[in-house]
Amino acid sequence: MQDLVFILVTIGFFALAIAYVRGCDRLKSGERK
Amino acid sequence: MTANGWLQIFVFLLVIFLLTKPLGVFMTGVFDRKRTFLDPVLRPIERLLYKLTGVNETHEMRWTEYAFAMLCFSVIPMLVLYAMERLQQWLPWNPQKLGAVATDLAFNTAASFTTNTNWQAYTPEVTMSYFTQMAGLAYHNFTSAATGIALAVAVIRGIARREQETIGNFWVDVTRTLLWILLPVCLVISMIFVSQGMIQNLKPYVTTEIVDSQTVQTTGTDGKTTTQVVKEQVIPQGPVASQEAIKIFGTNGGGFFYANSAHPYENPTPLTNFLQVLLIFAIPAGLTYTLGRMTGSQKHGWAVWGAMAALFVAGVVGAYAAEARGNPLLHGVDQKASAQQSGGNMEGKETRFGIADSALFATVTTDASCGAVNSMHDSFTPLGGMIPLVNIMLGEVVFGGVGSGLYGMIVFVILAVFIAGLMVGRTPEYLGKKIEAYDVKMAMLSVLIFPLVILVFTAVSVVSSKFGTPSISNPGPHGLSQILYAYTSGTGNNGSAFGGFNGNTLWYNTTIGFATLFGRFFAVIPILAIAGSLARKKFVPESAGTFPVTTPLFSSLLVSVVLIVSALTFFPALSLGAILEHLLMHAGKVF
Repeated sequence: MQDLVFILVTIGFFALAIAYVRGCDRLKSGERK
Repeated sequence: MTANGWLQIFVFLLVIFLLTKPLGVFMTGVFDRKRTFLDPVLRPIERLLYKLTGVNETHEMRWTEYAFAMLCFSVIPMLVLYAMERLQQWLPWNPQKLGAVATDLAFNTAASFTTNTNWQAYTPEVTMSYFTQMAGLAYHNFTSAATGIALAVAVIRGIARREQETIGNFWVDVTRTLLWILLPVCLVISMIFVSQGMIQNLKPYVTTEIVDSQTVQTTGTDGKTTTQVVKEQVIPQGPVASQEAIKIFGTNGGGFFYANSAHPYENPTPLTNFLQVLLIFAIPAGLTYTLGRMTGSQKHGWAVWGAMAALFVAGVVGAYAAEARGNPLLHGVDQKASAQQSGGNMEGKETRFGIADSALFATVTTDASCGAVNSMHDSFTPLGGMIPLVNIMLGEVVFGGVGSGLYGMIVFVILAVFIAGLMVGRTPEYLGKKIEAYDVKMAMLSVLIFPLVILVFTAVSVVSSKFGTPSISNPGPHGLSQILYAYTSGTGNNGSAFGGFNGNTLWYNTTIGFATLFGRFFAVIPILAIAGSLARKKFVPESAGTFPVTTPLFSSLLVSVVLIVSALTFFPALSLGAILEHLLMHAGKVF
């Protein structure tokens, strides 16, 4: 059970990091408009 | 302080200076895909790897694609390492029959090694099997270092390119870093280490009879004291030399043994000690030359090198002076350097390294994001121990980690030219690129994640008597320094421990694990965004109003920005920790 929790939080962190990449990119796109 | 000590520090800096250009030229050739002397051997291997993995080496990536590739390259091996730690009792090369690593510790270690931190909340020789060390931890030592270098090169390309959308190919950059730089050098260094007496084997641990049996008193959990006569000693073995080379050259720092580079098997001679400090700075120093060469402004590369060197000298002089002065409360004890002793504060230091080499190692390992240690920073004097802590707080941009030191410093360069632009009232420029609002916003996002993670986690830990303060071994300001150091080391991806602190608890394993992840990825993503933004920009020719980034004035401004940003952020915490401890020590109170 604890293994599952740590695997999920790891995947969750990297999903958050991908969202952060998109957010930083969108900020630039927003500035261009 | 002795002439011998100063001479060693001077020779070290001189050799780093002499290595900067050849290493920088070689790395530029590798990343610009020019022919090098290793091509006849390595180019066929590289082509084969691309064929097997389906990588198109001519494909160029936008910064977002580069970032996604970097994240994928990190998350999957991190999960594999976690599984390896949890299943090591069923995997090969485990002669000591070590059991599965606990879940929270396995998460912490997997996050730590994926991010080039190598924070170790465990004793390696009684926790990790040879297989986990070789196939799991050493794999990450190579790949996390290669990732850092690839990211730095992508950022340099962003500065150098004009009106382009792309900053290179992550898979190609990582592959070339591994094949051309890390593997060949580590192979040679491992051989040198073996020649110096470092062990390299897969044997079970050796049990020997000790020459002089020892009587030891131990107190059990029930409070009862028992006396034991110890006649035998277990001496750990293992493939040390092969791990040691990348531990140092990749600024990883995770020791094969708990004592790290203070252990005679990990650092057997004065030559290995000198080579280790040299190898920590080698790539980061060389990358400043690569920056100058790839951007067409060699003087700028040297200006950045100069700023880094000035900060290094300040740190090593401070640490050496503090430790050589000794402990003022040890009345009647001879602490003067002489032919018979190193003098100064020798607590927690190896007699064979003495004060100068311990202070140099501590400064270098925390200037860079290495974290290997040959002395225990917890036993330094308050001000001597504050130097490693401050070095990490600067963002490890004093030469810094492999790749991460340079891209971290570029953020400060952007802030420096922005401040210079504000002073003269014109849009700042950096090597022919206008620095605009988006670039400064991204720079600030990268800078702010660091104190946010460190200070929030430290604050929560110091007010919790349930899961925070029980881990510290000393009360008062020293205890605060222990917790502050742990989160600073984790978030800064350094990995060195202050010592005297039990990080192997559910709270610290989990939060320090997250600190390493945020410190690595949430700092570098905005930097890649800056690289993408700069690559797209038009070139603006230099004019009379351009602030030159090639002069000593620029280096001084850069040093000031690094110091001011860090001082404003961390000074209150340092005041309550190391500075207060120093003042109390002179008032006769120690912790």
